[in-house]
Amino acid sequence: MALIAEKYAEEIEGILKRFPDKKSAVLPLMHLAQQAYGHMSREAMQEVADILEISPTHVLALSGFYSLYYEEPVGKYVLEICNDLACALRGADEFVEMVCHKLGVPVDGTTADGLFTVKTVMCLGACDRAPMLQCNLKFEEHLDEEKFDQLIARLRAEAESGKEEPSVVEKIMAYAKS
Amino acid sequence: MSDLVTVTIDGVEVTVPQGTLVVDAAKMIDNDIPVFCYHPKLKPVGMCRMCLVEIGVPMRDRATGEVLRNEDGSVRLNFGRGLQTACTVVVSDGMVVRTATQPVKDAREAVIEFLLTSHPLDCPICDKGGECPLQNLTMRYGRGESRFDFSNKILLDKHVPLGELIYLDRQRCIQCARCIRFQDEVVDDPVIDFHNRGRRLEIVTLSEPGFDSYWSGNTTDICPVGALTTADFRFGARPWELTSVASVCTHCPVGCNTTLDTRREAIAGGRSVIKRVMPRQNEWVNEIWICDKGRFVHHYADAPTRLKQPLVRKNGQLVEASWDEALDLVAGKLQQHKTAVAGLAGDRLSNEDLYLFQKLFREGLGSNNIDLANRRLAGGDVVAQVGLASGSNLKELGAGDAVLVVATDLHEEAPVWWLRVKQAAERGAVVVVANLRPTRLDKFATHRLHYAPGEALSTIRQLVNLAKVEMETADSDPLAAAADALIKAKNMVVFYGSEGLTYEETDALARLLANLLLVKNGEGHVGRPNNGLIPVWPHSNTQGAWDMGVHPAFAPGYKPVSEPGLRATDIYAGVADGSLKALFVIGADPVGDGLMADRGQLDFLVVQELFMTKTAELADVVLPAQSWAEREGTFTTGERRVQRYYMAIPPIGDSRPDWQILAQINERVGLGKPAFAASLVFNEIAKVVPQYKGMDYRSLARVEKQWPDVGGEDLYYGGTAHENRSGLGQQWACVAESATVERFDVAEQPVIARDGLQLVRVAALYTSGTLIEQSPVLHHRMARPTIQLAHADATALGLADDDRAEVTVNSVTYETAVRVNEQVPAGLVLLSGVPYIAGLTTAQIRKLETAVAQPTGD
Amino acid sequence: MITEILKGMFTTFKHLLQPPVTIQYPEVKRPVRYRFKGRHELKRYDNGLEKCIGCALCAAACPADAIFVEAAENTDDERYSPGERYARVYEINMLRCIFCGFCEDACPTEAIVLEDNYELSFYDRASAIYTKEMLLVPVPPGGQPTPQKVEPGKYDRAIPEMEDPK
Repeated sequence: MALIAEKYAEEIEGILKRFPDKKSAVLPLMHLAQQAYGHMSREAMQEVADILEISPTHVLALSGFYSLYYEEPVGKYVLEICNDLACALRGADEFVEMVCHKLGVPVDGTTADGLFTVKTVMCLGACDRAPMLQCNLKFEEHLDEEKFDQLIARLRAEAESGKEEPSVVEKIMAYAKS
Repeated sequence: MSDLVTVTIDGVEVTVPQGTLVVDAAKMIDNDIPVFCYHPKLKPVGMCRMCLVEIGVPMRDRATGEVLRNEDGSVRLNFGRGLQTACTVVVSDGMVVRTATQPVKDAREAVIEFLLTSHPLDCPICDKGGECPLQNLTMRYGRGESRFDFSNKILLDKHVPLGELIYLDRQRCIQCARCIRFQDEVVDDPVIDFHNRGRRLEIVTLSEPGFDSYWSGNTTDICPVGALTTADFRFGARPWELTSVASVCTHCPVGCNTTLDTRREAIAGGRSVIKRVMPRQNEWVNEIWICDKGRFVHHYADAPTRLKQPLVRKNGQLVEASWDEALDLVAGKLQQHKTAVAGLAGDRLSNEDLYLFQKLFREGLGSNNIDLANRRLAGGDVVAQVGLASGSNLKELGAGDAVLVVATDLHEEAPVWWLRVKQAAERGAVVVVANLRPTRLDKFATHRLHYAPGEALSTIRQLVNLAKVEMETADSDPLAAAADALIKAKNMVVFYGSEGLTYEETDALARLLANLLLVKNGEGHVGRPNNGLIPVWPHSNTQGAWDMGVHPAFAPGYKPVSEPGLRATDIYAGVADGSLKALFVIGADPVGDGLMADRGQLDFLVVQELFMTKTAELADVVLPAQSWAEREGTFTTGERRVQRYYMAIPPIGDSRPDWQILAQINERVGLGKPAFAASLVFNEIAKVVPQYKGMDYRSLARVEKQWPDVGGEDLYYGGTAHENRSGLGQQWACVAESATVERFDVAEQPVIARDGLQLVRVAALYTSGTLIEQSPVLHHRMARPTIQLAHADATALGLADDDRAEVTVNSVTYETAVRVNEQVPAGLVLLSGVPYIAGLTTAQIRKLETAVAQPTGD
Repeated sequence: MITEILKGMFTTFKHLLQPPVTIQYPEVKRPVRYRFKGRHELKRYDNGLEKCIGCALCAAACPADAIFVEAAENTDDERYSPGERYARVYEINMLRCIFCGFCEDACPTEAIVLEDNYELSFYDRASAIYTKEMLLVPVPPGGQPTPQKVEPGKYDRAIPEMEDPK
């Protein structure tokens, strides 16, 4: 398959130009692949590996190491709730429970409409504003049930209207083109 | 400033080269600093923290740089604020290391305790139990009891096959990354890696097949726990039950030193059987690595299909007979046909066998009609003159040196040589690869010369000529640049093989390459250690066959004979036309290899073999021989190192060692009493063959202390590769070491016009054969017949990737898979996974329309 | 003198009236003591799976080299013991055995136990070798004979419960 090679040919070239060693471009290329394939599937890994002439196992290792690469299909919005120690002390665990209950999914599950995936993550560096979550790279802080409802309503509306925040891929493309 | 620094470790002063790591410096004075992740053959990473020690460096006055002293005059030391990892700190002058203080002990206890929080402690069923670094270090440095709750252990998968050869136990893994680093740094097969983080870390592979590497078995040796184990030895035995016997690998001319671990088995009827093959350290040959072929292809020694009794043809049937009957018949028939006998040998036999075989023909029957059954590579006589000089070690090649590799794919034909050339390249050596097509070594080569089909010799001739003239280094011609780089090198080693070449062409190639080595630029490149020619022989003892005079034109020791006998090709013709009456085939299967159609007009055919081969089926007498594991002997490697192997298992059935059978035939044809031990035959060889002068079984068994220290008590340092207690072997000196060698005359080879697609058979490590087929664990890895060709050529034939094709070459038809590979030069078809085909040929390639299910081994 | 003879006869007659101490072996068997070490048995779990995991530690501990073990791998279709490993061959040479009980101590799963049977006599040396079939105890009621076909992932640990040494 050559999905990203076709879809983002120009961007890949731009990214590759920025690194003296081809191999170094693996992380931005993986973001492109994740966008194109929906998640880091085995095909996505193979394609990134082929472009960079590295072992696909190496791509798999990186996608396993970094929490922003998803090896399973995820929803449009990934709600990554921090439940590390500090957040847990401020009620993150109860918050996760509430979120799962509200959306009717377990942790790591995706809602039936394909909009939301709930994940728990380790420290996001916002302990003082817990409970908090990261939704598609944006922090939502000082959350409680009411604020969470508002957030979900806003995201649903956003998804319906088709208006979106710039995604990580768009940022990478901007970077590649600059 | 000198290159040596002196450090004090636990009060003992040791002087070591600059750049040495503290852990190695301590090892040199037998101070064992425990490690898990560090390995002397890998780069340090400092991951496991087991090697924490106190390291103090002399304090200096900031202004003057003077060493500060205490009141009593001793040097003031700065021990820093904490412990440091001995595996990442490089020694410096005046450094003081303390490895036995209370903080160090506490740190070790803590690390062990922490590693064991997630370790399953299933040592009773673990294949590593008994030779496990974690087990040993826990006993030596651990607390004895854990403060962690046993029931809190994280339970991870215990049965994760990484492909068919290696099994992973996730729970046992202590995340030292030795395996991952070995695959990446040492053998450049980064097919395994870590996935996820923290306690969920696991080793994964995405290659197809899983853990696709010829070196995977080595990771089980260096794994400090039982996380990686081989499928072959899985639950086979406990390490303490095994009897280890030194041996030598029989699969390629490298001659890796191995150890056969044997044990008596009830299911083998109480016989001792080989349970596993382990590497044995020999820093001059294979260091501590062996390829998976050497590790897993040993089952043929215990195969139930082995011949057990002499067979004699009576009334058209091969029936069991006594040894005396069979041997009397063989001796009588050979003498009866004295003038019309010939002998064909295989080059997997030991020196003793080959020597006695030629003695039978030359002295017993007065015939020079003796040859190897399947000659692929010539140049043994050239190697005797300008071979790799004795005292060489490919490990010493580095910056300023050069390696030339011609017409061979070392990775497939002699993997350990590939590894050593690759490592030489990484140390800065110039590596020039000349071949028809890219090979795996190209990645590490500084110069890649891809000649067109049929232009191998002219290219090398040009290279030699260019080497003779002084040039500007900036020459843009790649050939000139390569010649220049080669000739200016301090040391030069040349490997040559027979890919795409006929036997006659390889003879010219060897001479041309010898002339290249003889080009004088300063001292020249012959007769000095780390200089000379290395032939990539097809089998383990082709070199020995040359030395022992299994050649129609050379008696033992390369003495030319006055009347050369028939070559193998002439012998096959003689069999067909009736000019030969009796043929003795030993350790070879010319019928199965397609060299001989049938027994032709022969009156008498005797075959000495391990298995009932196609040739043996046609024989009048079949003599059952012993495999290498059942007997003693010596092999001579491509580097001309004579190495001993030992008896590991009892004989199968009534089989006898080849040399003994031959000695008993020799007695019957009047050559005197047979020697009663292989060592006595070798003594005779040492008398007759000048190159082997001074060698005997005792001198071949000589060992010396090797660095790094591997095996022995401290399994954690070097892994479970065995210590070498049974012999490093001896390299025999080539002529150039003591005399001047004149340039070789090379006849101009006629240039053959080549039209159309040229087919070349390329080697694959796991190519099907009698021996490898006996190892079921490798069945899925066997190289299936495959053709590779460039896109344009494939399109012209109407072929696409993943098609099936029918390839007819030399009137043999193979059904092959098709791989379109842009790396293959246009006009060339690479055929792999089939028996050897000499030279370049043309082939009829036809697409198979019906999708035929790909045959899979089971 | 007469008194002495009478004394002696009295002792004799006293014993005549006492019940005999001879036990009519083999019809009658004397119970053995709690710590008696007789012939080994290989135990099973209640569900019938063998406790022996083929680790050969008993063979390693045996001072008389009487035990021989060959291990093999379990699959969920053919399961002999919990975990990955089981004893494919388990033999004890009773002529060699000195009944010291070290094998019992070495066993990590309490699979081998020296039980009460002391009736070990043989007509030839070969029959002194007890095979696994002879050593294994019968399947307990409610259990299944081995090999068993089990659901995957149910018995993935060789040592189901680790207890502190007593």
